Amino acid sequence: MNPMTPGSYMPTEYFPVLITMVIASAVGFGALFVGNLFRLKRAYREKLMAYESGNPPLEEPRYRFNVKFYIIAMLFVVFDVEAVFLYPWAIVYDKIGLYALIEMLLFIVVLVVGYVYAWKKEAFVWD
Amino acid sequence: MNSADFIALLPLIVPALASVVLLLLITFSRSHAVSVLFTLGSLLLSFLLLFVAGGGTPRRVTPLFIMDAYSLFFIGLLFIAGIVVAVMSSRYLGERSMERGEYYVLLLLATLGASVLAAGSHFASFFAGLEILSVSLYTLIAYRRNDDRGNEAGLKYLILAAASSSFLLFGMALVYAQTGSMDFFQLAEGGRVPDLTVVLSAGLLLITVGVGFKLAVVPFHLWTPDVYEGAPAPVAAFIATSSKGAIFALLMRYFSLMDLQRFPAVWYGIAGIAVASMLIGNLLALRQNNLKRILAYSSIAHMGYLLVAVLAGGTVAKTAVGYYLAAYFATMLGAFGVIAFLSGEEGDAENLEAYRGMAWSRPWTAGVFVAMLLSLAGIPLTAGFIGKFYVVAAGAGAALWIPLIVLVAGSTIGLYYYLRIVAVLYGRVPEGEGGAVTGFPGRVLGMTGGILLTVLTFALLWLGVYPAPLIRILQATVARLVP
Amino acid sequence: MREALWVIPTLSYLGFVVLALYGRGLTPSRAAVVGVGTVGISALLVLALAIEFMTSPPPGHAYVQVLWQWMEVEGFRPPVSLRLDALSVIMMLVITGVGFLIHLYSAEFMRGEEGYSRFFAYMNLFVGSMLVLVLADNLLLLYLGWEGVGLCSYLLIGFWYRDPENGYAARKAFVVTRVGDTAFAIALFLIFTHLGTLDIQEAMQQAGRTWGADSGMAIAAAALLLGGAVGKSAQLPLQVWLPDAMAGPTPVSALIHAATMVTAGVYLIARTHVLFALAPPVMLAVAVIGAATLLLAGFSALTQWDIKRALAYSTISQIGYMFLALGVGAWSAALFHFMTHAFFKALLFLGAGAVIMNLHHEHDMGKMGGLRTQLPLTFWTFLIGASSLSALPVVTAGFYSKDLILHNVGTSESGSLWLWGAGVLGAFLTSLYSFRMVFLTFFGEAKGKASGKPGPLIRIPLVVLAFFSLVAGLVEMPSLFAYAGLDVHLFTRFLQTTLPGITASPLPLSVEIGRELIIEALQLGGILLAYMLFLYKPGIAGVVARTPWGEALQRLWRSGWGFDRVYSVFFIRPFVWIARVNREDAVDLPYVGMIWAGFKANRFLSRTQSGKVRWYAAGIGLGALVLLGIVVLL
Repeated sequence: MNPMTPGSYMPTEYFPVLITMVIASAVGFGALFVGNLFRLKRAYREKLMAYESGNPPLEEPRYRFNVKFYIIAMLFVVFDVEAVFLYPWAIVYDKIGLYALIEMLLFIVVLVVGYVYAWKKEAFVWD
Repeated sequence: MNSADFIALLPLIVPALASVVLLLLITFSRSHAVSVLFTLGSLLLSFLLLFVAGGGTPRRVTPLFIMDAYSLFFIGLLFIAGIVVAVMSSRYLGERSMERGEYYVLLLLATLGASVLAAGSHFASFFAGLEILSVSLYTLIAYRRNDDRGNEAGLKYLILAAASSSFLLFGMALVYAQTGSMDFFQLAEGGRVPDLTVVLSAGLLLITVGVGFKLAVVPFHLWTPDVYEGAPAPVAAFIATSSKGAIFALLMRYFSLMDLQRFPAVWYGIAGIAVASMLIGNLLALRQNNLKRILAYSSIAHMGYLLVAVLAGGTVAKTAVGYYLAAYFATMLGAFGVIAFLSGEEGDAENLEAYRGMAWSRPWTAGVFVAMLLSLAGIPLTAGFIGKFYVVAAGAGAALWIPLIVLVAGSTIGLYYYLRIVAVLYGRVPEGEGGAVTGFPGRVLGMTGGILLTVLTFALLWLGVYPAPLIRILQATVARLVP
Repeated sequence: MREALWVIPTLSYLGFVVLALYGRGLTPSRAAVVGVGTVGISALLVLALAIEFMTSPPPGHAYVQVLWQWMEVEGFRPPVSLRLDALSVIMMLVITGVGFLIHLYSAEFMRGEEGYSRFFAYMNLFVGSMLVLVLADNLLLLYLGWEGVGLCSYLLIGFWYRDPENGYAARKAFVVTRVGDTAFAIALFLIFTHLGTLDIQEAMQQAGRTWGADSGMAIAAAALLLGGAVGKSAQLPLQVWLPDAMAGPTPVSALIHAATMVTAGVYLIARTHVLFALAPPVMLAVAVIGAATLLLAGFSALTQWDIKRALAYSTISQIGYMFLALGVGAWSAALFHFMTHAFFKALLFLGAGAVIMNLHHEHDMGKMGGLRTQLPLTFWTFLIGASSLSALPVVTAGFYSKDLILHNVGTSESGSLWLWGAGVLGAFLTSLYSFRMVFLTFFGEAKGKASGKPGPLIRIPLVVLAFFSLVAGLVEMPSLFAYAGLDVHLFTRFLQTTLPGITASPLPLSVEIGRELIIEALQLGGILLAYMLFLYKPGIAGVVARTPWGEALQRLWRSGWGFDRVYSVFFIRPFVWIARVNREDAVDLPYVGMIWAGFKANRFLSRTQSGKVRWYAAGIGLGALVLLGIVVLL
């Protein structure tokens, strides 16, 4: 079938992916389900407590964090996600060549500028 | 991408580069003047580069961008708006002790996003441009960090824009699923959309939801007044003009490339939105006392008028949209400019009552404001009149009688609240105990404000009295958008 | 030089803008400098342009300056273009020349009045609009100027707005002329829909081709234009507003209600003379209206006691002469009389203004008298003006222009002896009422004491205008003079490039001399009678006036032939009655309902602006649902 006929396009080449997803979910959920069927269920107070490496928990798990955590987290996400782009780039590098190198350099320069900005803004200084 | 592509894309590359350089610059020098001058310089350079880029048009630069006369015109309009907003902001931020450099980085990015939309020819660039624009705006709206309403507005815009973006994405996905292409031109070629399946029209209308949110048309308009009120006046001006104008340029390109007017579902959907926007936008403004909110409602109605021209389709309609947008840009920037320049540190000059009798103490400022309001109302000899005249002519040519009747009714309602402001400006100040007539409490326009607003006013009158040059430009650029 | 044409009206508008925006902040002297200066520069420019036009005329004796195209929508392309030709040169010379003198006069006359700069702002706006009116090359722009001068007339009649009487007078002038303006506007629509153009020259050519002579459309269009002209120029039956318009300051009466604006109707007919020539019945109507107006107004002028009202009726009567001339096709004669009339009538008004000012705002001629010795300069100039108005032979300008009109009426193919007779009788009335004014005001025993003397800014315009009232006629000599070797026809020759000459059948010399003698005898007789009645034996007039017939006639004439009462009975009262019956205003109900609905809708819709994000998001979702619903339904 011509995939370009309007209204009839089916991404058939991704069909194996769908099957993989179904099987993976089936195995995962199935294992849990089967384990639940056979395991012993004996609950007592210590076992139901939140796990803090053996110490009894000191306070409620939800409390206000210092805003600096958010900044650090944000910076981490930003630079981490940008790094992800390096993987596809590495794969197609052979095909595109020098051009890809320049583009990635530009990309990294922009990242560095952002880094310099964050640095100068003292985003990395804790106190 | 070869050098010709590079030259064609220069007007977009320069503001992108400028925003990065400016970001680096402000880490070393926090001088406000340097930031302003750098922003103005780069925008001006980009504007001039449009003429360089114009040599190689029309040119597809990767599937993402199309640099033709149509996109160059709108990008030019967006750059001019960016320059005006930057000048306004320089004064607005000038006396506030806040971090000011980032503002201009974001302004450059927002202008870049809008320009990407105007040149976009692919769902990918559509979405990328939209997000560059939106993300910059989230922060710009909440730029008055210590102002509750500013924070509220920024958050509201963030949540709602994200929600509407999801509609947009889903719509794009449906259209892609049906047509197998995200490229506008491929869609247009060879009757790729010969007929409308339910899925395809659903996709198109979901895209309309996303676009409608950005254009602030009914029923996706509810955020508009709150955000305009909370945003700094220059940012509100930017949302009212560049953000909407860019989306409109893209919408019209998409519409005419795919010739969507022929599908009844799309047609009736847009017609309904247009009619509702014209009526509800104007009705909501009737008893409003906050100038920024009035302008917000007014902008809702104006987008409704513009949609009438989109419905009409054809060359006249394209000229009409181009003219109307140019006139609307000049007028809205002027109206918000007055507010921005009169605003002091304690808050924006948005309370209508504060303007009572301003015409007696500040005749020129009030005169400029009146000119803007009359243009918004579409009174002859202003740019607004010619724009509306063109829209009506385009609508009448396509026999859109019901939208036209609503347009006239809406304009009549609009007259009430525009003239109400004029009446307040020229009203008598209630005399105080001492019998002394107090002048307008806000600040004076100042040099930049005086010059900028005078230029805008003259542009307005010039367009209203002598529209021929702009019409010639439009006929050479916008009207030549033929699929 | 010609390229500077656009500067002339622009200057006046510039003056207006400056005065309107910054008038409050200007000292009176500065306001006067702006107001008078802009018109003065315009006058100099016009003079230079006129000299250039006469010495090296442009090709085709016309120069069109297209400034810009206003808009272009589906075949409707009104250009904003100015036309310089003989007709507009004459009009401009008078408007800026007389306008400048009157501005100069006002600078002193209005000194100390509240709203001094406002006055000059309006006056400048007027001059600018009047210039646009005469320069316009298409009917739309002409109409713009036409409405502009109407607006200024309204504003200036009601200049002293604190007195409601003045406001009423202004409103009356506006409403009555509006009747004519409506006819004019319909004429424009007619011309545009049928001829497809509003360009005057093009429309005139088209009219000849499309409609042809004596066709119904040509008659309709010409009649509608005549309606406009009649309203603006205060001719029968729309003459009622002009006497009341005297409520405005005297310089306004001189400039707007004597010299320039009221003659716009004459200009309009002259400008569209091709169309009128196609419609002989309308031409006849123009002549008859002119003749009737000049007689009726002449009688009314006889009985007025208010000096300005007397002059107002005289103006109506003199414009009647111009219409009479237009009606017989003597276009240049009408323009000639327009020019001389502008000089001597402006002079008379300014003289009257000087008298009024020095007698503490006394308008009643019955309370004047003997001012000859107290205000000698005013007296002599006023006397010159009155002589010119009475067309005193040979030495005054009025003689030449009026003689040309009467001669043309007597000889033109479309003229008749009746019209000629009316004109001659009018000439008799003119000298009678002119010298009645002179004798009542300046002779006899002094009843009031003049305070002080007019200053130089008042005296200079008086002297200059008096000079022109004497010599302006010399550019055009009566045909009789040709026998004496004085064959001077500069004025008609100059206008010939724009306005065609008259088709006349020459009369035998003896008849011409006879007619001339009758005219002169009646004119001089009028002066003599005025002397007898109002100076030598004032008793006679009183005796005649006290007879029952005399009293009735006097009352009728003084009230302007009772037109006001007739209009009141037939138009105003029924209208007011309807308005009263309809006090609740049934027609208004839908509109009131709409307003009510608008506010209700606003209240309802305002609730949607709750400020809650979840509600806003719901709005988006709802909108998406509705749109998807459309997909499902269609």
